[in-house]
Amino acid sequence: MFKYSKRLQYPVNIKKKDLRMAKYLVTQYGGSNGELAAALRYLNQRYTMPDNRGKALLTDIGTEELAHIEMISTMIYQLTKDASLEELKEAGLDTHYAEHNKALYPTDSNGVPFTVAYFATTGDPLADISEDMAAEQKARAVYENLIDLTNDPDVIGPLLWLRQREIVHFNRFKELFEYYEKKLKTNESNTMSNYMFNNFM
Amino acid sequence: MYNYYMDNNMFRESRPELFNLNVGYDNGNMFSNLYDSYKNYKPVNLKAKDDREKLLLDLSRVSFAAHELKLYLDLNPNDNSMLALYNDYENKCRELTDIYEKRYGALNSNSKYLNKVPFNWVEGIWPWEEKFNV
Repeated sequence: MFKYSKRLQYPVNIKKKDLRMAKYLVTQYGGSNGELAAALRYLNQRYTMPDNRGKALLTDIGTEELAHIEMISTMIYQLTKDASLEELKEAGLDTHYAEHNKALYPTDSNGVPFTVAYFATTGDPLADISEDMAAEQKARAVYENLIDLTNDPDVIGPLLWLRQREIVHFNRFKELFEYYEKKLKTNESNTMSNYMFNNFM
Repeated sequence: MYNYYMDNNMFRESRPELFNLNVGYDNGNMFSNLYDSYKNYKPVNLKAKDDREKLLLDLSRVSFAAHELKLYLDLNPNDNSMLALYNDYENKCRELTDIYEKRYGALNSNSKYLNKVPFNWVEGIWPWEEKFNV
């Protein structure tokens, strides 16, 4: 069960509209390395983690990603809410306006809608956690690209903060990966799934 | 000003690898051994403009610290001193949430300050509206 808290995990207070930036930023909402993909990836993978450490970590990081979706959405909302139709056209957001007006919608920077094909679940904890580590690194890289694309300190602040979260999450997933790998190596059975069901649970 | 005590270095002497509450929250990372900056960018030094913002900021800091420790404890569930610190942060978070909700309205759907009309949950400002933020 999830409970909503009526506050952001980290403050977002953008005073200057910037439609180009909103267009870039939306990829961290609905793009392949975005926060929505991250939340769904971890919250789907958690059920088949071999022990309680993995279940706990994927639940807690997956839940945090929901708060990051809200931060990115807030940034996009604040960057676009005062835009005129002319300004939207100029920024290439007229195609977004045609379908969504100024409503939020998860796409990448090119307007390609979100798809669950952006993430995988294999039931194999080492495979799944490797993907999670890669996902955190890719999201960190995209945050750096986005920081390079703006001069607005109100935008850079939350992006730096979210980038740092990717680093923490990567390290936690790496610890979990190494912990499972070590457990697997000390076991005689030949597959992780055998090991999971026979010994871990 | 409200009647609560907030020590930025709260109980940290047991775990020198942790940043203090202000620095950890500004950084987005409580663990100095994991911190990694980008180019020459420095994290924003968050400051409150009024009493409400100060309270929300303190609450956010201590809540973030507790969350960071929780991720660590998921993988290190037998770490006694980190667990004690986690409970200190969570207790402080509950205390500050109570003070905030009493004065400014519910943050959580299970708030005990949802007992008067108009139903306070629908009142007030939502988090994506900028004046709500620190």
